[in-house]
Amino acid sequence: MVRAKEKVMRGVFFIAALASVLAVALICVFLFAQGLPPMLRIGVLDFLTGDRWRPTAAEPSFGILPMILGSVYITGGAIILGVPVGILTAIFMAKMCPKPIYRFLKPAINLMAGIPSVIYGFFGMMVLVPAIFEIFGERFDMMSGNSMLAASILLGIMILPTVISIAETNIRAVPRELYEGAVALGASHERAVFKVILPAARSGVLAAVVLGVGRAIGETMAVRMVAGNQTVLRMPYEFFSGVRTLTSNIILEMGYVERESLHFGAIVATGVVLFVFILIINLLFSVLNQDKEAR
Amino acid sequence: MKTKRIISIITILLALCLSAGMLTACNESNDNGDNGNAPAGNGNNPAPPDNNPTPSDDFDSSRRISVFTREDGSGTRDAFISITGVGDDMYEEAVVLTATSEIRTSVAGNPYAIGYVSLGSLNDTVKALTIGGVTPSAETIIDGSYAIQRPFLIVTNDEKDADPLVQDFIAFALSAQGQEHSSTNWTSAGNTGDYTPAGLSGTLKIGGSTSVDPLMALLRAAYIELNPNVNIEISGGGSGTGINEATSSVIDIGMSSRNLRDTEKEALNEYTVALDGVVVIVNTDNPVTNMEIETVKDIFTGEKTTWSQING
Repeated sequence: MVRAKEKVMRGVFFIAALASVLAVALICVFLFAQGLPPMLRIGVLDFLTGDRWRPTAAEPSFGILPMILGSVYITGGAIILGVPVGILTAIFMAKMCPKPIYRFLKPAINLMAGIPSVIYGFFGMMVLVPAIFEIFGERFDMMSGNSMLAASILLGIMILPTVISIAETNIRAVPRELYEGAVALGASHERAVFKVILPAARSGVLAAVVLGVGRAIGETMAVRMVAGNQTVLRMPYEFFSGVRTLTSNIILEMGYVERESLHFGAIVATGVVLFVFILIINLLFSVLNQDKEAR
Repeated sequence: MKTKRIISIITILLALCLSAGMLTACNESNDNGDNGNAPAGNGNNPAPPDNNPTPSDDFDSSRRISVFTREDGSGTRDAFISITGVGDDMYEEAVVLTATSEIRTSVAGNPYAIGYVSLGSLNDTVKALTIGGVTPSAETIIDGSYAIQRPFLIVTNDEKDADPLVQDFIAFALSAQGQEHSSTNWTSAGNTGDYTPAGLSGTLKIGGSTSVDPLMALLRAAYIELNPNVNIEISGGGSGTGINEATSSVIDIGMSSRNLRDTEKEALNEYTVALDGVVVIVNTDNPVTNMEIETVKDIFTGEKTTWSQING
């Protein structure tokens, strides 16, 4: 009787575990089945390296290189702006923060994580974009405040709660003995934190950065409201110009596109590229992580 | 150790930049507050351009024009590019936004901006340009003098057109009661008089343009109130989908926010339920009040890029 119960429960747990795997598998199948044929019809190379996106023109062209680069630039910018702030905040919260400030800071950061991205988008549109245009518009002959810079700053803010909470948890998880040992050997509090605890928490902090990258590259709503969405090929130093990201490209045209048209296929194919992107990033960081652990 | 210190200094600088940016932006939104946010009332009498706050003197006409456009496939964009002649040559540097409200907000926050929205969603946070001297309004749209306009059509194929329920719904949409809704946010093209419910029952499938959708939702609610035994299903998909599905009898009535092409006219009967103007808008600080349609085209194709090239 007990054994039968155990078997049933084991099955239940197995099915629960299977559900998430199944979901991922289904998404993969859908994406590749719908996305690959149009990609082949356009030509994989033309699709990935083409710099013109004119889906509804008389002679349509589907090149997503500007969007691939756009995603890379904006995510890179967000990481440059957000990760240092996030990690330092995490160190402060875990090791240096007085209790009364912590009691205020922690809920504030949790609240930040709960703000819907469309609200961030509105903030970016009403505050960030006009401010950037006001400050830099004339000097750099900007089209508008909608720019890579605006998107990077906004995303830098949006990834903060993710980076902070994961990094903080991992810094707290470092055994106290390490810190005490460092202090006993004569290290100051700061030195012990930066030289002993932070390196010990390295893989966890890295995981925080990965999640940050994932959040940044997958963000759609807020980015499309401030990034400008031009499908022009940009260089990384043109951060006062607008770009379109892979995610924005999908959401911008999804609402109107005719099913089973090549345009629809090209949009799904954009999703495939995005998916592969995220796979590569995850793989890269897990390889990095393994290296660190092996050492 | 040294790198850590550098990182922390950079971080502090960035944080300062961020907060400085927010402060300046706050000041700016206070400036904009003066312009007010109240909508201009309904589509029949949008605020005429000369009612707007006086343009500021520090408008620098040597500045670049900030062009805002809608995304590929949007009905408003379709109508705009085909009437102004922009066609497939939309300026590549133009900022692409996906909603009327986003265009309006962006133009209101940027003194050098230009964009276009549906007449129904115009309010006095932005200034509507007259096109060739003609003010966009219900009257100029009906008499055709305001050029940038599009019809909201409902279309049926011959088979469905003979269906009594379809006929009854179309009769309602074109009647005084139906056109009352067309003139809330859009312009009514005139009505066929009073409608009396025939007490029919059944299900109607309507689909197509998402621009017509809000009007159709109003018509549906009013029609069902008068004909409680009728069930109406509305689906989206865009004008193209609506026309295709109406032709192939997948749905009973198709919605389109663009004119039918000649081949489509052969297969379908069309009824104009409303007219909608597309209004070219600029910031209230902009001294420009009028533009020729060619100038609009030159701006949106990127031929003219600074305000000094535009002469009123």
